[in-house]
Amino acid sequence: MKNQFNWSRRRFSQYMALGIVGTIGGLRAPRLAQARPGTLITKPIPSSNERIPVIGLGSSRTFNVGDDPGALDNVAAVMRDFFNAGGKLIDSSPMYGSSQPAIGYGLKKLMKAKNVFSADKVWTWESDTGPAQIEQSRRYWNVDSFDLMQVHNLVEWEQHLKTLYRMKQQGKIRYMGITTSHGRRHNELEDIMKTQSLDFVQFSYNIIDREVEKRLLPLAQKRGITVIVNRPFQRGDLIDELEGKPLPTWASDIDCKNWPQLLLKFVVSHPAVTCAIPATSQVAHVNENMAACYGPLPDKAMRTRMIDYVEKVI
Amino acid sequence: MDDLTSYRLSDFILFSQTVYYRQFELYNQAIWPLHLVAILSTCVIIYALWKKPVWAGRVITGLLVVSWCWVAWAFLYQRFYQIHVVANWYALGFILQAGLIAWYGVIKNRLVFFAGNTLRAKLGSGLLFIIFILYPFIPFITGRSWLQFEMFALAPDPTVFATLTILLIYKSPKLLYVIPIIWVFLSCMTVFVMQ
Repeated sequence: MKNQFNWSRRRFSQYMALGIVGTIGGLRAPRLAQARPGTLITKPIPSSNERIPVIGLGSSRTFNVGDDPGALDNVAAVMRDFFNAGGKLIDSSPMYGSSQPAIGYGLKKLMKAKNVFSADKVWTWESDTGPAQIEQSRRYWNVDSFDLMQVHNLVEWEQHLKTLYRMKQQGKIRYMGITTSHGRRHNELEDIMKTQSLDFVQFSYNIIDREVEKRLLPLAQKRGITVIVNRPFQRGDLIDELEGKPLPTWASDIDCKNWPQLLLKFVVSHPAVTCAIPATSQVAHVNENMAACYGPLPDKAMRTRMIDYVEKVI
Repeated sequence: MDDLTSYRLSDFILFSQTVYYRQFELYNQAIWPLHLVAILSTCVIIYALWKKPVWAGRVITGLLVVSWCWVAWAFLYQRFYQIHVVANWYALGFILQAGLIAWYGVIKNRLVFFAGNTLRAKLGSGLLFIIFILYPFIPFITGRSWLQFEMFALAPDPTVFATLTILLIYKSPKLLYVIPIIWVFLSCMTVFVMQ
């Protein structure tokens, strides 16, 4: 994840935090949730009515740190602040290199294996090896079982969905779903959403890439499928493009103090979206992202205003 | 596997530049003092290229075989595979290349040194100087931790570059160029995508 906000704003936040908790060495970062207005925004999973916070945590690229002890501790620090701010859903995949063991390291260190809403994926072209891969992923995570297991990027989806149905019936997973990203294979995904029984679906959506508003989001709403949104910042490109551009004055009406919060609130305010999963390797950024889980969400008129403004300044 | 075509190379580069170069730092720390063996190996190759003894072809290719195997196992499979899901295939490619070099260079002794003080020999010598002597200093020059250095016989890029240069200096079967050229393409794409 690239730099999400300018240096001066970051320093200002740091000074504010230091001012609150004092400057004695070794102090932990303050629990920002305590300083946030209102309650944590959650949305229901249609198939169960269980509520989850609207901001989750992705792990593609950012948590793929190998066995580097310092980087693993940094992953744990990001997860610590994510949980402290009320976060629950963490998403990963076998495709993301060492991200799964890194999450497992963080969960063990923070003793949060029971608190996390664990979302992972099955990603193998040999469908009969799916169960073994899921079991390996579970061991990496150090969890008893996964809450959500998804078919990654529609790979061998017919066979893997059968496996996931079976696992759900056996109580080995609670929810099942399917994912894509970068706007790929939406026609095929639409067919799957129409014909298969899914709890979750995951695809890319952000204030610029809104093609899913036409068919996939309404279809998910109609079929009662929970939507997880990946790449809400276009993998950081949107943040880069908006860096230095003035935040609209009316952003304060929805408690947005920076671009990432505005972009996230746009995504999660869509009625069909349950959760967005921005990925970051920086503690400051996860706090910034999680702030979008608090305060008012934009209404339809405000969303239109947000689109107009962003398209004008980019 | 039709859905594999919907992937781009960038979809597989799921690590940051920082994490990538940090792998070399951790690797160098883990394998020390094998760097001394690599330096010795480099010296033997330079001597063989300079003096051109009758055993030069077999010894140089023998050392290349060991280098490609080591890089495949110790770096690509043991370390890079942790963060890059296709690095095991890279390792396999390196082992295959080691086999080809062993067959044509060590067993068949098919590498014949170009005679004389040709332009090709001079160019090759210059490139080898850069790869053997200057390449490890790239992190230092670019402001990264010097511990992230990459050495011939231990890291993939300098090993591949040195191999290609030696193949240019020698008359060698064209088949030996295929995997190194593919690697150069992949390595350049990786660096490009990371940026």
